[in-house]
Amino acid sequence: MTKYIIRRLLVFFPMLFALTIIVFTLLKLAPGDPYSQMMDPQIDASVFEEQRKARGLDDPIPVQYFRWLTDAIQGDFGDSFRYKGRTVAELIWDRIPNTLYLGVFSVFITLIVAIPIGIYSARNPYSPLDYAATGFGFFGLAVPNFFFGLAVIYIFAIKLGWFPSQGSISKPGLEGFELLKARLHHLVLPGLTLGLASTASYMRYMRSEVLSVLGSDYIRTARAKGLTERTVLYKHTLRNALIPIITLLGFEIGVLLGGAVITEGVFKYPGIGTLFLESIGNRDYPVIMAITLMLGFFTLLGNLIADILYAIVDPRIRYD
Amino acid sequence: MLKKKSWLLFLSFLFTFGILAACSGGGGEETTSEETEEETTTEEETQEPGEKVVVGAMDTAPTGQFNPLFYTEAYESNIISFVYETLVSQNENLEYEPWLAESWEHNEDHTVYTFHLRQDVTWHDGEPFTADDVVFTYKTLASPDYVAAGGVRTYVVQRLLGFEEFSSGETDEFKGVVAVDDYTVEFHFTEPNVIALADAAFYIVPEHVFADVPVAEIPEHEASLMPEKVIGTGPFKFTDMVEGEQYVLTKNEDYWAGAPNLDSVVWKVVSGQVILGQLESGEIDFVADPTGFDPADYEQVAAMEHVEIIEEPDFGYQILGFVHNFRTEEDIEAGVINPDNFVPNPDLQDKRVRQAIAYAIDREALIEALLHGHGTVMNSPIAPQWWVFDGDTPEQYEYDLDKAKALLEEAGYKDVDGDGFVETPEGEPYELTMAYPLGIEVRERSAPIIQGMIEELGIKVNLLQPLEFAAYSDQLEKNTEWDLYLLGWSLGTTDPDPSGLWTATDAYNYGRWNHPEADALVKQAITPPEAFDRDFRAEVYKDWQVMFQDELPALILYARNSLWAYNKRMTGIDHMPWSFLNDPHKWDVTE
Repeated sequence: MTKYIIRRLLVFFPMLFALTIIVFTLLKLAPGDPYSQMMDPQIDASVFEEQRKARGLDDPIPVQYFRWLTDAIQGDFGDSFRYKGRTVAELIWDRIPNTLYLGVFSVFITLIVAIPIGIYSARNPYSPLDYAATGFGFFGLAVPNFFFGLAVIYIFAIKLGWFPSQGSISKPGLEGFELLKARLHHLVLPGLTLGLASTASYMRYMRSEVLSVLGSDYIRTARAKGLTERTVLYKHTLRNALIPIITLLGFEIGVLLGGAVITEGVFKYPGIGTLFLESIGNRDYPVIMAITLMLGFFTLLGNLIADILYAIVDPRIRYD
Repeated sequence: MLKKKSWLLFLSFLFTFGILAACSGGGGEETTSEETEEETTTEEETQEPGEKVVVGAMDTAPTGQFNPLFYTEAYESNIISFVYETLVSQNENLEYEPWLAESWEHNEDHTVYTFHLRQDVTWHDGEPFTADDVVFTYKTLASPDYVAAGGVRTYVVQRLLGFEEFSSGETDEFKGVVAVDDYTVEFHFTEPNVIALADAAFYIVPEHVFADVPVAEIPEHEASLMPEKVIGTGPFKFTDMVEGEQYVLTKNEDYWAGAPNLDSVVWKVVSGQVILGQLESGEIDFVADPTGFDPADYEQVAAMEHVEIIEEPDFGYQILGFVHNFRTEEDIEAGVINPDNFVPNPDLQDKRVRQAIAYAIDREALIEALLHGHGTVMNSPIAPQWWVFDGDTPEQYEYDLDKAKALLEEAGYKDVDGDGFVETPEGEPYELTMAYPLGIEVRERSAPIIQGMIEELGIKVNLLQPLEFAAYSDQLEKNTEWDLYLLGWSLGTTDPDPSGLWTATDAYNYGRWNHPEADALVKQAITPPEAFDRDFRAEVYKDWQVMFQDELPALILYARNSLWAYNKRMTGIDHMPWSFLNDPHKWDVTE
């Protein structure tokens, strides 16, 4: 096991390195640069030429890449082009908490809703509640995020006034419990919206996994041994049914930090997702590179963790 | 057994949800769930009882650079315009009026302007505002490191005396702006300056805050970024923010023109799809600069009884550009614009073809279909708000398909092979390539309609797939194959001078229109001493506008009207043609 982890870690960094080369090159090959959108008839184009030169955009791509790499290794991800006067580290650091709150909250909602309902549906297939859950599942997968977001805003924020619809807290200067309360309150609608599709798919996974495990021979054996239904379910069924869920969760770590572009946009929730999208549109190279690197890192890490968890959950899996 | 368990879980989820829902009642003073009626909103807890607060909405968060010397976006401007002030300001006729400068005079040949400053102005931190602040502001704009540090506003200092020497670092003495005494400041220009007042209309920043900060470090200084640290002279102080979400402006009790009526103006970042709902519920009070609301929503807003709408023609327009010339590959590579090397675009050389296209495009129909009528047909590249704008003499190109077809035929373009599209006078197949960018929905939707209109005329149009804007502008700049392009321009509000967009050497003259006579007129209109005469300028610009419409470097499609809305509880609104945000210290609310 230890050997396996070390082996995985050894390919970890070369993969990240390759990722940065590919992304950097593709970015630079794409037409346009951070200044190509700043068109203003009052401003002479030579001003932007001078700034391109000052920021080293005229240098050959390999030169630019190595400059980026040398700085990045030392922990310096540079300054944003668009967010003047701000370093990339500050920008990302400011937004990570928001992104994490939203991600964790939505995963939490997903798990506490999807797993019990999935199990219930599998245990009572073709019951009215199973049909309802199936219906909800298809609804959740079919409805686009932004539409569901706007619908809940309209109903719960504008018409009923139960939840705020925009932003992550209600006003500046909150502290302690007030701050926590404001955060949670602001998380409900975006969290539900973000969690909807994954709740639906996790539920379907859970249902089919539990169903197939319940039909297997060892469950019949377990029941024949006279084990209680409870033991059969928790000890024999769930453990096996959770394996695919763990794979999904492993991927989820990267996704979680990547933020949710559409949900963040509709709810004006300042997270990594909108920053990333915006930076791509503006060719804000240093920001794009830093976020890509971060996402790459956590996606690889998530996969690694998922692989390790397999071995814990499923004793049949051994890494040597 | 199990059944119970999962139900319990589900119940506990509902319970959590319920608690969260209850939070909305807990924090706010007014909302009790029994009284929840249509009107009730999540009235945010920003308000102390009796405080006068208005809430404005913008759909995109400012990037956070609140130093006027370095900001680049209209969203920052929404905060800066409350906090900072200029020596002179413009009235609704775009004429300059005293502001921080009480009065001014100039010498015989307009090379020296002397401004007499108000003596009762203080900065938000209590320091007096003096001539040194003005000198510091302009000196920073002209300093050698300014552009490399990310500054783009050298256009306000480039006419000042000694700008070249100072900005290139040859000398460290700046002769352009000089303090005569604490409250008198002189602007010295290299040549007689027709737009001296426009140059003097830039936001002044405090010297005492930035004096010891190297220019390169000003953008990252806390006084450029942080609430409370940003110091201006304006009616409101920038006091608090939730980055990316909310920006709080608090009244400046010591404001020289009298303390504002409102205690606070709060900007909230609200998604475009939600703004109208919040306007209706009263959660926000106004939506205006820079984007206002969408023409498609006009009826919905008009139906809100408590909301007032302001409609103003925009300072800017959308164009269908005609590519007259291309740059050579070598010039593109070297990044130079040399009209002598321009390669004519054979497809659009005959101006009758361009005119035929102009007649074939039903602009009224475009405005009706895409802007629900909330736009204006324009036949001059100068904004109609200017005194030099000529709305009659330039060719108006009213939609006339027969005339368009006749012009095309006269130019020798006929359909010889009977496929419904014309061929060139030489009988070759004729097809125009048209490009457009993503980013503005109305423009995206207009592209295929325009293609259809031109094809109706009989010219085959190859409409390219739209490009993301950064890619589009890059391609447009290096264009060697497009014939037609869609683009929009916002015009400056300080002076009507159209150079920068339409003279041969301008980078943004993407059609590479090269017309020496027209360029001469543009130059003449700002050449002293005649140009100090407003009527003379108007006359010259009139000729230029006629020439523009005749030669058609571009067909101006429409100017979208700005649509602003505010809650009628707001009083004292006195908007300017280019902005809703004017004299906010006079704003008030009635309850």
